[in-house]
Amino acid sequence: MMGDNSRFEVRYGMLLNAIPSSVLIIDRQLQVLSVNENFLSKSQRSKESTVGRLLADVFPLVILQSTGIEENIRNVFNSGVAIKGQKMTYRAPGVPLRIYYYSILPVPNDQIMLIMEDVTEQVRLSEEVRRVERHLASVVESASDIVLSTDINGCILTWNSAAEKQTGLTTQDVHGVFFYDLCDANQKQAVRQIFQRMKAGNEPHTTEFDLLTPGKGGSILISWVFSPMLDDYGKTVGTVVVGRDLAERRKLELQLRQSQKLTALGVMAGGIAHEIRNPLAVCSSAAQFLLEDNVSADFLKECMRKIQTNIQKASAIIENLLRFARSSLDTDMSEVNLNNVLKETIELVTNQAKVQKIQIQLSIQKPVILVTGVSGLLQQVFMNICLNAINAMPEGGLLNITVNTIEDRVIVRVTDTGVGIPPGELEKIFDPFHTSSPVGQGTGLGLSICYSIIRQHLGSIQAESRLDQGATIVVTLPLL
Amino acid sequence: MNVPILIVDDEPDMCWAIAHLLKSQGFNVITASNGADACFKLANGDFSVVFLDAKLPDMDGLEVARRAITMATGRPSIVLVSGYHYQDDPVVHDALTEGIICTFLAKPFTNEALLKTLYSLLSTDR
Repeated sequence: MMGDNSRFEVRYGMLLNAIPSSVLIIDRQLQVLSVNENFLSKSQRSKESTVGRLLADVFPLVILQSTGIEENIRNVFNSGVAIKGQKMTYRAPGVPLRIYYYSILPVPNDQIMLIMEDVTEQVRLSEEVRRVERHLASVVESASDIVLSTDINGCILTWNSAAEKQTGLTTQDVHGVFFYDLCDANQKQAVRQIFQRMKAGNEPHTTEFDLLTPGKGGSILISWVFSPMLDDYGKTVGTVVVGRDLAERRKLELQLRQSQKLTALGVMAGGIAHEIRNPLAVCSSAAQFLLEDNVSADFLKECMRKIQTNIQKASAIIENLLRFARSSLDTDMSEVNLNNVLKETIELVTNQAKVQKIQIQLSIQKPVILVTGVSGLLQQVFMNICLNAINAMPEGGLLNITVNTIEDRVIVRVTDTGVGIPPGELEKIFDPFHTSSPVGQGTGLGLSICYSIIRQHLGSIQAESRLDQGATIVVTLPLL
Repeated sequence: MNVPILIVDDEPDMCWAIAHLLKSQGFNVITASNGADACFKLANGDFSVVFLDAKLPDMDGLEVARRAITMATGRPSIVLVSGYHYQDDPVVHDALTEGIICTFLAKPFTNEALLKTLYSLLSTDR
């Protein structure tokens, strides 16, 4: 029997030494009766300096005080109920901080077993995971772009602070809401289809549409990228949607167009001054005639008529100017008769053409040529092209505009008889800041703005020229 | 008073206004509506004063003035009348210094100013 017992004890000792936890047997006097290898190596102690000693000699004072482990052990002795899963941090001399979970179990013979499990590594790993998660979350939160995620059906799961800020809707407001329900009524179906497409393929989808901002009223135009979120097996489990507010970009574009327009107005100022001061001079003289004594009834009428017609002439010039200056505030696409745009443009540049002895010809194939567009922007394009042509003819000449429709397109050719464009410059003229004008006389933005406007209208713009033989700008637009 | 005055302006109403003003003072008035017409009249007639618009459909008023110096028989005094230029415009300044024009009158002008200009030119002529 003794043999069995001692064999059992040896095995028991082997088992205790093999487990990756520290095990101590302690009696009611808080004396350490036995310890396993794990404890000795972790605490950097020898068996001799541990077994038979009081707990207070084995553990540093600071640990005993901070964990109340002695109190806990006494409680277990008194109650006979085990204490499990208490946390303890322990630093042996010259060893980095370790973190333990310990349990105190009552064992026979009025002893308790103190089991300490080293969880330092687990704690470190989970803290690392939390840190990475926090970092990722703060990347998403700090982004100035809208970042949101949805489930496979487009139901919103996460919503970052940029999204909150721009829409005025909090995460709570949108959680569980279908993303397409935050879109404009006429875009809902299209957005719904994007989510359908995400389910099937794994290609990202780029688009632009308005997001409703019920918190602020109205909506904002956003450039969106939809990307499917894939699991480890490549199966779509949701969608990540990133959106950038286009308002700022649109605002800049608008400002650029507006400033370019002011440049055009500056170019026209001379012609406008001449055209307005002429009728003013006539009115002024006629009014002074009326002030004289003995004005005959016939002459009185003649003067009145002259004043009337000339005021109307001046007023018409100002009205055209106003229309040009203000038009770009309206940026909604609608049905536009291109012929009217061209006629109005010609009216505007006529003054300038006149003072430079330039004749303008417009030949139109059909009375009505409809395109989809923003009439103010199209006018700005043709205004620019015409003013460029006029600038290219300082000695006078002919500005010829022809409009032809071919299949589903309309082609407008604006030809001048001016200095022309050197061959090397031809491909550069639509580049921003490219200018042939002396410094201070041209921003070099005119044609690049034309290019962006025509692109926005799904058309194209090209230049043809031979030096000293004039230039032709060809604008092609899709017909309605 | 018998030597006519030439009015060059492409705007008929402008010609009408100046012509009426001058006729009311008893002057003889002839009008031209473009540069070529003005040059032809200057080459074939004698004028005391020319009221010349700066921007004509076929050539600049100053070009007409330059030609007038070489071909007009009586060397008329030329008044540039313009809505395009202004009093201290470098172009006007240069033309005055070069003696191409005698004086400049900005549109719109007062009838009084136009007549004052005219009489001062006629009195220096005499």
